[in-house]
Amino acid sequence: MSLFRSLRVWRERRQHGDGPFAALFEPYEGDEIVSLDCETTSLNVAEAEILTIGAVKIRKQRRVMLSDRLDIKLKAPANFRRESVPIHKIRAMDLADGVDMHEALQMLLAYIGNRPLLGYYVNFDLRMLDKYMRPQFGFGLPNKAIELSEVYNNIIKWRYPGGHVDLRFDTIASKLDLPIIERHTALGDAITVALMYVRLTQGDCGVL
Amino acid sequence: MTTAFNTSKPPFNLLSPAELGVLQNNLDIAYFQAGEVIIKAGEPPEGLHILLKGRVAEEDEQDVARPEELRHTYVHYTAEDYFGAWSSMRGRAIHNFVAVEETICHILPTRILLELVDSNPVFGDYFRNSFAGRFQLRSNGNVSQDMTEFMLARVGDSCMREPLILLEGTCIQDAFALMRERKVDCLLVRRGGRYGMVTGTDMLTALLQQGLSAATDVADIASYRLIQVGHDEYLFNALVLMTEHRIERVVVKDDQELKGILELTDVLSYFSNHSHVLGLRIDRAQTVEDLEEVATGLNDLVQGLNVHGVKVQFAMELIATMNEKVMAKLFNLLVPEDIQPHVCLIVMGSEGRREQILKTDQDNAVLMRNGLSWPEKQSVLEAFSRILARFGYPPCPGGVMVSNPEWVLSLEQWTQNLRHWSQQASGDNLLRLAIAVDAHAVAGNAALFKAARNWFFREMSSNQIFFSHFARAALNFSTPLTFFGGIKNKEHGLDIKKGGIFPIVHGIRTLALEHKVLETNTFKRIDQLIDSQQLPEKLGLDLVHALGLFIQLRLQQQLERMKSEGASDKDANMLVVERLDRLDRDLLREALHVVKEFKQFLTQRYRLEG
Repeated sequence: MSLFRSLRVWRERRQHGDGPFAALFEPYEGDEIVSLDCETTSLNVAEAEILTIGAVKIRKQRRVMLSDRLDIKLKAPANFRRESVPIHKIRAMDLADGVDMHEALQMLLAYIGNRPLLGYYVNFDLRMLDKYMRPQFGFGLPNKAIELSEVYNNIIKWRYPGGHVDLRFDTIASKLDLPIIERHTALGDAITVALMYVRLTQGDCGVL
Repeated sequence: MTTAFNTSKPPFNLLSPAELGVLQNNLDIAYFQAGEVIIKAGEPPEGLHILLKGRVAEEDEQDVARPEELRHTYVHYTAEDYFGAWSSMRGRAIHNFVAVEETICHILPTRILLELVDSNPVFGDYFRNSFAGRFQLRSNGNVSQDMTEFMLARVGDSCMREPLILLEGTCIQDAFALMRERKVDCLLVRRGGRYGMVTGTDMLTALLQQGLSAATDVADIASYRLIQVGHDEYLFNALVLMTEHRIERVVVKDDQELKGILELTDVLSYFSNHSHVLGLRIDRAQTVEDLEEVATGLNDLVQGLNVHGVKVQFAMELIATMNEKVMAKLFNLLVPEDIQPHVCLIVMGSEGRREQILKTDQDNAVLMRNGLSWPEKQSVLEAFSRILARFGYPPCPGGVMVSNPEWVLSLEQWTQNLRHWSQQASGDNLLRLAIAVDAHAVAGNAALFKAARNWFFREMSSNQIFFSHFARAALNFSTPLTFFGGIKNKEHGLDIKKGGIFPIVHGIRTLALEHKVLETNTFKRIDQLIDSQQLPEKLGLDLVHALGLFIQLRLQQQLERMKSEGASDKDANMLVVERLDRLDRDLLREALHVVKEFKQFLTQRYRLEG
């Protein structure tokens, strides 16, 4: 967790730790992690809009709880950009029956609680969510963040001292010999990342 | 939904969209390390496990503690296989399921599995049924199609003829010349927008009975009330139509377009080529040449039965009957009538068991009354074997055929041989004994054969040492169950004869011999052994289906290879597991389970441990 973010969380915990969302600020003691991914209209936090949010729980580091998943479609944003459509393949019409952001965030908070959040470049997703959280709740997500590429890097870097570690999503998936489940859907990526995490923390990574 | 779960494969393709929704909303993905026990014997499993990646072994309970090479692994499961359904429905597992490699699988919780099993009976049957029941499920899928193809050919693609069409104004004389030229007995004449039909008989009637001149327009003597059938009508219905109207020809139309003429004689010969009418033709054959014609037609029948996938037991039975009829007829044609009561033609081996489908090697012998003098026997029997070869029955590679004097024996020699083989039952002797035990009489005096067989039954009865020795051969080849990891032998495939067919056939043969079962067909032997309670009913029925499956799968791949390579192959018994679809692969695996169970049964029955 970056220093900046931990300072921010510390400050917001002091402000909201006794409020209606106090539970979010409790330290997490359970055995679950939430793998999270958002599809957005661009990669620039300032101008991007969230289109979909996907999340799936990992229990005891080894079970991906597909049956307990979150798959939220948002209403199409006003500044829907056509350039990113080829990547996420979500058209404005696909979002016709989406929910609005306020509702989405309520659902998300209820789902993740104070569990640690796992993602691939998870800080981007956190910052995107925070961008909407702050105006509504007055705080950003306080959850502990786990960066998948860091987990991967920590394990693999010892094998290539001084070398460059390829941290691209598809590379990690293929190194770990995992099927990629619907790349570029929020839930699909969340599931794939969850599988990567389980494989990295549980599996025999000597073969990588 | 975004799971890598393939719902297009059985049994999941049996679910409705709503049920699939339930399924997909309740799947989890679980990860297991190599060596981890996924389901433990005696404990309730979490649910149905469907492999996404990795490999899982099903093992005996006590095996976990044992070193790898001593473990008794039943099955390996790999990607897209599933396990745990049965255990889930029983409430607890009876075997351990252990991850051999790192494994990722989908898990459908028991509760949901049971819901789906309850809401969808077909899906339920898939899991609930015994092996025999599931086999039924498979056959049901095929049978309707087979039967329509085989029994119900359509008019358009069977034996319809192109019509000879003349225009109005053609005289009888010219028309007749054209009919002669085209070698037909019927023509159509067009008058305005209508067609009329004129047959040779019509012309005769016109010229001789009505006294018309040969220059009369054929359109004047044609009959315009034609009975027609649709192009895609069943041939069978066309036959019914002709019988009803007492006519010999109908016009075939596709929409309003004239397609051809269907003649009664053609329809009848079409059916006769394709059914047991062949049997009648064999009986009526007066000469070797007559018989040859039918025997050649038999090859087409064999081809037809196979191509159309007629149920394998039925096909075997039919073909065996035909083959025997041909052999019996030929024997009767060649062997002088005064000799026939003193000799007996027997067929042995798979022919004797009636379990041949493609090419039937000649596996036959002749028994003679002791002291029979028949000087021409060598030349007659050589001719017999030679003509059979011409009919398309290849000579036996091992020389087990009547042209070989070793297999033309007096009753006394035959019984001596049987005794000798049974006393030193190993290697070739065991093989000879095995094929001899499957023998049955085809022509000549069957009493001779029965006398020898009954003598042998008595001779062998309660000779436990012999039976235990004889039975042991069934265990010679290990059951290729661990093959399913798909690691070894990938290119060669799996020898289904050694791994599946032989153990069943030989084990049943041993039991049949011990219990004096007269039938030689393995399926019928099993029936009788069940009836006399020498074989547990469930095991027996499972064996029937397992054997049927082995033979069918082998045949399927043989035919595929014949089609692609244009010739029969040497490795007829090789089964390429990767080419099977998942249902067949499942069935094969369970069938091999049955073989394993049967071997254990034999081991206990004949005390073959160690």
